Amino acid sequence: MNGHDHGGPAGYGQPGASTGSTYVPPPAPSPFPQPTPQPSAKPRTSLAVALEQSRYRLMVTAAVVTTVFTAISVKLAMATLLAGGGEPRPHVALEIGETTTNRADITDRNGNLLATSLVTQSLYADPKLVSRPEEAAQKLVSALPDLDYKDVLAKLSGDRRFVWLKRNLTPKQQAAVHRLGIPGVAFEQEERRFYPAGPLTAHIVGFTGIDNNGLAGMEQGFNKRLKEEPGTPLQLSIDLRLQHVLKKELTATVQEFSAIGAAGIVFDVRNGEVLAMVSLPDFDPQDPTGLNPETLFNRATLGVYEMGSTFKIFNSALAFDSGKIRVSDMFDAAHPVKIGRFTINDYHSLHRALTVAEVFQHSSNLGSVRMIQLIGVAAQKAFMTKMGFTRPTGLELPENGWPLVPNPWREINSYTISFGHGISVSPMHTVAAAASVINGGFFHKPTLLKRKAGDEIPTEQVVSRQTSDMMRRMFRFVVTEGTGKTAAVKGYLVGGKTGTADKQKGKHYEKNSRMSSFLGAFPMNDPRYIVYVLVDEPKGIARTGGFATGGTVGAPTVGRIIRQVGPLLNVPMLDENAPEILNSTYLNAAGSTNWQQSLPPVTAPPPSKGSTVASFPTQTKPR
Amino acid sequence: MKGKTWLFWGGLIAAAGGVLFQTSYDVQDLEEKLAGLNRKIVQEQESIQVLKAEWSYLNDPTKLEQMAQAYLTLKPTEPRQYLAMDVIPMRPADAVPPPALTPPGIAPLPPMVLAPGAGNSQLAAARAPAAPNNNAAAGIVPVSAPVGLAKPLPMEKALERAPVVVPASLPSSGGLADPSRANRIKPAALVPGSARAPAEKSAAPAAPAAGKLAPNAPTSRPTELAARPTPAPAPTPKVVAAAAPAAQQPAYQPKPTDSLGLLVARLGANR
Repeated sequence: MNGHDHGGPAGYGQPGASTGSTYVPPPAPSPFPQPTPQPSAKPRTSLAVALEQSRYRLMVTAAVVTTVFTAISVKLAMATLLAGGGEPRPHVALEIGETTTNRADITDRNGNLLATSLVTQSLYADPKLVSRPEEAAQKLVSALPDLDYKDVLAKLSGDRRFVWLKRNLTPKQQAAVHRLGIPGVAFEQEERRFYPAGPLTAHIVGFTGIDNNGLAGMEQGFNKRLKEEPGTPLQLSIDLRLQHVLKKELTATVQEFSAIGAAGIVFDVRNGEVLAMVSLPDFDPQDPTGLNPETLFNRATLGVYEMGSTFKIFNSALAFDSGKIRVSDMFDAAHPVKIGRFTINDYHSLHRALTVAEVFQHSSNLGSVRMIQLIGVAAQKAFMTKMGFTRPTGLELPENGWPLVPNPWREINSYTISFGHGISVSPMHTVAAAASVINGGFFHKPTLLKRKAGDEIPTEQVVSRQTSDMMRRMFRFVVTEGTGKTAAVKGYLVGGKTGTADKQKGKHYEKNSRMSSFLGAFPMNDPRYIVYVLVDEPKGIARTGGFATGGTVGAPTVGRIIRQVGPLLNVPMLDENAPEILNSTYLNAAGSTNWQQSLPPVTAPPPSKGSTVASFPTQTKPR
Repeated sequence: MKGKTWLFWGGLIAAAGGVLFQTSYDVQDLEEKLAGLNRKIVQEQESIQVLKAEWSYLNDPTKLEQMAQAYLTLKPTEPRQYLAMDVIPMRPADAVPPPALTPPGIAPLPPMVLAPGAGNSQLAAARAPAAPNNNAAAGIVPVSAPVGLAKPLPMEKALERAPVVVPASLPSSGGLADPSRANRIKPAALVPGSARAPAEKSAAPAAPAAGKLAPNAPTSRPTELAARPTPAPAPTPKVVAAAAPAAQQPAYQPKPTDSLGLLVARLGANR
């Protein structure tokens, strides 16, 4: 036995670890006893072959088993030691600052919400799962009385797999429906855009559709940004308080003069921020489609109008900036200008020569035309382009009107443009350009986004500082002694320019439909804010003697607005007759800025008949 | 020996298994808790959002102005009410009278301080300027303050000793100057004037002396409830009791406080 034991395993070579299970029992004792224990003898055939075979088999089995086990251990090591593939994702706490909504809020400059997203529940049904549609519809209508029974029944008995029954339920309604326990009817969480300020900022913020995509205003202009960064609110430059004051006063004016609409802008001349912007009539952003589609029209940015006399601001600025005209230069305003078949006239002609200051003060068309005659068409075109009147303002709203600019720009165009006809721009154009005229000559692109404190404000010098200085005095002069007296607010050094433009209907200018506007700025010693008001088709009333001009409609409105807005904007009150104030704002009709010389009022007294209503509609008689 | 080793390892394995089991359940528990908390956070965030929206909605300047016009006598500020700091001239040195010259009856205190209670005095002081007749010299005599105010007192003491202004038409003034009485008027009495109107009538029979305050009656302000002295201490709680329900039912009925419902209703869904 021992001999067999010895001989058997010797033939197996190294018994490997894997062979333990495949142990082959030693061969049975041979019927022929071995005569001599001679290992070197010739191998006995059957046993040797069998041994050989089983060794091969063992080797193969071992190899297979080793491979499989190695694979398993490698996989095991990978799964456990290396970064866990099968490990469940660790649960983490929510970040507190994270928002639950998918669309960012919009706030005003002080952080008041203008638009936000609220999570609401919507009711839907899977008609396949509704077993008794009649009964279910009956129950649903009893819980939600504003649903229509037939409508619900039709929806529930259809063969679609998903129908909305009612969107945006209140929690009470949700509980009521929940209590019914109708199978196949379920709730889906939805987001709904909500506008706390309502119509007040409707034209700025805009609105969204049912799928929460912006369809107008900033909601559309910043649709992508609002969706991509839902956590950070979009802060506008709008101040809700100013917005309210502006809208209130505009509404009052529209009612008083039975106008068909109005637009108003409060603008920061130092950095181009729009602090308030109103267009009347406005709409409820919660339900923009239900109303007259005309209310969606933004008169302040999309509407382009012939601005009338407010354009004399730019005519005068161009005149001073060209260096060819000084404020004391005289221009004939007695004789009508004839060009082609047109005759340009002043409605309330003073029948004498006027200084540039008086042209501005009385808003004389003739004087303006004489001035542009001296300057030339090319210079005017270049200047108006520089002022941004040939392209959209670049405001962030999608509602951004293209100006209507004459092409070609002929001499007759230059004449009419000098007093604000023949070129149509939006109120925002006018305000942004006027700001650059009085703020030292820096044109800022208007913006509806709040500028951050340290940010560089992109700017461009469009007129010289001297021009701007003189224009400030002219503005002030119009309010102290010109057409804009009703805009004066004690202590705020209001300056401005009236504008009254006849509206063009088809090919003719209408006699009694006009746009009356006033562009006011304060305080004029160092302008900070522009308040602009444009009233569409005001009708004359008894109080104003039947007039509805910029001086009787726009200027008082601007005065009222400034009176309320000044304290909110923290503008200090100034003594209007203090020497240093007069030094920086004084101008008289003769074009002198030296107030001490004229302390005894020796300035040319304006004829009484045209003093307050001289901005009466400009006459471009197309006869 | 071998049995002991087995016991040791077996015990170890069992213990490890037990601990693992326990831990795994603990973790499950914690995860459930965490998920619950996360849900709660989301819910809170949603309701914060709703509250923010409601706050903005209620703060709509248009609405505020309407309410202010209806219930307050305040007017929008005008530019003339603002003064720059440097416009105000410095007080000339010789214009300041030395403190010794102050008449003993007039303590250097604002005349509005009528209710000397610690909490109420501020309210009263804040409201009183709107009542034009409080300081009118005609019907009002200052009850003399305790003599010996020459040395400055700490503020609280000074308030206690402040002269109480009493209308001269009132018959008695003895018990009226008791400052502790004024403390009984709760701030609940300080409701808007319009809301308080019915309470005024119900209080009149209880306190007949109030009828004599003729100049006070038409323009009466809520603070006068606090300021008005009543002859006997007994009616005072009644006045408060009468004023309190009035405070709860002001003329303006606020909408139901179902805030989300209110907002969603405003959303005008499903039109």
